[in-house]
Amino acid sequence: MTARRDTLLLHPAGRGVAFRVSKRSVVLTAALGLCAGAVAVLSLGLGEFDLRPADTLRVLGGGGTLIEYDVVVRDRLPRAVTGLGVGAAFGLSGAILQRIAANPLVSPDVIGVNAGASFGALLVITVFGGAGAALVLGGLAGALLTAAAIVVLALGHGHGGYRLVLVGIGIAAMLSSAISFLLVRAEYRQVLSAASWLTGSLANRGALHVTIIAVTLAAAVAVLLVFGRHLRVLELGDDVASTLTGGAGRVRPVLITTAVVLAAMATAAAGPIGFVALVAPQITRRLLPGGPARLAPAAATGALLVIAADLAARLLFAPTELPVGAVTGVLGAPVLLYLLARANRIGHTG
Amino acid sequence: MTADPNPTTTPSAIELSATGLTLGYHARSVVRDVSVTVPPGRITAIVGANGSGKSTLLRGLARLMTPRRGAVLLDGRDIAGMAAKTLAQRLGLLPQQPLAPDGITVSDLVGRGRHPHQRWFRHHSDADGAAIASAMEATGIAHLADEPVDELSGGQRQRVWLALALAQDPDVMLLDEPTTHLDLAHQIDLLELLADLNARLGRTTVLVLHDLNLAGRYAHHLVAVTDGRIAAEGAPAEVLQPDTVASVFGLTCEVIDDPLTGTPIVLPRPPADSRRST
Repeated sequence: MTARRDTLLLHPAGRGVAFRVSKRSVVLTAALGLCAGAVAVLSLGLGEFDLRPADTLRVLGGGGTLIEYDVVVRDRLPRAVTGLGVGAAFGLSGAILQRIAANPLVSPDVIGVNAGASFGALLVITVFGGAGAALVLGGLAGALLTAAAIVVLALGHGHGGYRLVLVGIGIAAMLSSAISFLLVRAEYRQVLSAASWLTGSLANRGALHVTIIAVTLAAAVAVLLVFGRHLRVLELGDDVASTLTGGAGRVRPVLITTAVVLAAMATAAAGPIGFVALVAPQITRRLLPGGPARLAPAAATGALLVIAADLAARLLFAPTELPVGAVTGVLGAPVLLYLLARANRIGHTG
Repeated sequence: MTADPNPTTTPSAIELSATGLTLGYHARSVVRDVSVTVPPGRITAIVGANGSGKSTLLRGLARLMTPRRGAVLLDGRDIAGMAAKTLAQRLGLLPQQPLAPDGITVSDLVGRGRHPHQRWFRHHSDADGAAIASAMEATGIAHLADEPVDELSGGQRQRVWLALALAQDPDVMLLDEPTTHLDLAHQIDLLELLADLNARLGRTTVLVLHDLNLAGRYAHHLVAVTDGRIAAEGAPAEVLQPDTVASVFGLTCEVIDDPLTGTPIVLPRPPADSRRST
């Protein structure tokens, strides 16, 4: 693990401008991105109207018939793009939170963001009888309100790490009992439609979902370009972080908010797809040993996880389609158990 | 303590002081109305019993706590109003339990000390490279550059954190019990290193120490804290007097001169009824 030889300095505008890039990280991100793209192409060709990957690529390039264009680009592309985007957002969110808290067990699922989104969406389903865009708005509102509550409660006294985890777990517990309450009170039909949403699903995604996740990712990348470098000192513990930033209270809320909003928007677009945010950074760390998960490969890992899980969800019990969250849950839960078993003392970074 | 004819950097000796400083957690004041001036360019040790407020005082000096009353002045300026980046470039801190991410290498960790000198569009400069190299050289860890920090011994790890603080190149270096968890040989090793660095670079250094004899040997100036106040202050020989030690630590003792260095040594007096020695 030769950190110095792995580092590449980019000088896009003379010596005064320098961006540090890890060569291995670039290679890994590209490889994971290629894999995710390949799975997406495979997935785009599958369905009642089957296409070979080569044909799918031809259609994507603009060379298909009108029907092919309609099926691939209009019907199926939003699902794939939403899947890739949501996966990247969860991966980023998990990596940021795990690094700030220096704890591999932290993720938006654990600290209640997903529960908040679920509660909001469930309110829309059961109380207002809404669906479609209303559901997205409900999930979004729920997630953002939860996120705001977590940020305010966790940062009120200027501490990061553990406080964030503890406050989040408390909020998650409260919200899941509220979710149970709504489900018990709901009608049978509503419960069925809620169950699919609560697991996290990429079925019937459209321009709305693509827009939500694309705008969120673009904004997050911009924020991370400026503030992401602070993660390198925030993960050294509160005291060193405060000393090297002149007061970590300044930069930590920006990054926590970014992470939480990423998860909130992703959940609004695809439901609370479990475990991706938790697992993606851990997979990244093992693929790229020698330090905490880097953000770009974590995002690529998340994208690959979600798009692959969605493909599996569609194929495993075809023609019946599983919600993607069912697959990530089955794959992710053992990883969580493994991490819990490894974290033999509080604060062990896995 | 050998003088280096060609010091790598020469930070001018900067004065750090507190005036009427009161610090506390919740309802409790832990440090009360403390006024102290740290001699520029020297090593100052803060000593005191457990819970006396010595670490809190150090945290206040590092702006890790907001004063209830009073102020901390760096070179005459109140640090409360200093820009974050400025303060981060001028004050370094080695906390009691810093956190090294799993698998991180020595050079990566030390390099993070350069954070305050970097910008979002400038992750590295030639000055960063030079500062990192000279910090690793000065702490004798250059050969460990590519090793993972988790695989080092406690003594080596403490040198790595010290190198991080050196790479930061602050005017004043604050160290919170840098020798805890180290065996005696490594304690001496680290303190010799600090004394040597101080002699060469003349950087104002403040450290919290538990061991009075080590504090007496390595510090130029002692600040004895009891119950959140300063009980005594001055050269080790002035502060380490039997009556001061009795009032600060509740320990009856004799003080003799170290036959090797001439610095004071505190010998706790066995209780009068002790028969173990016979």
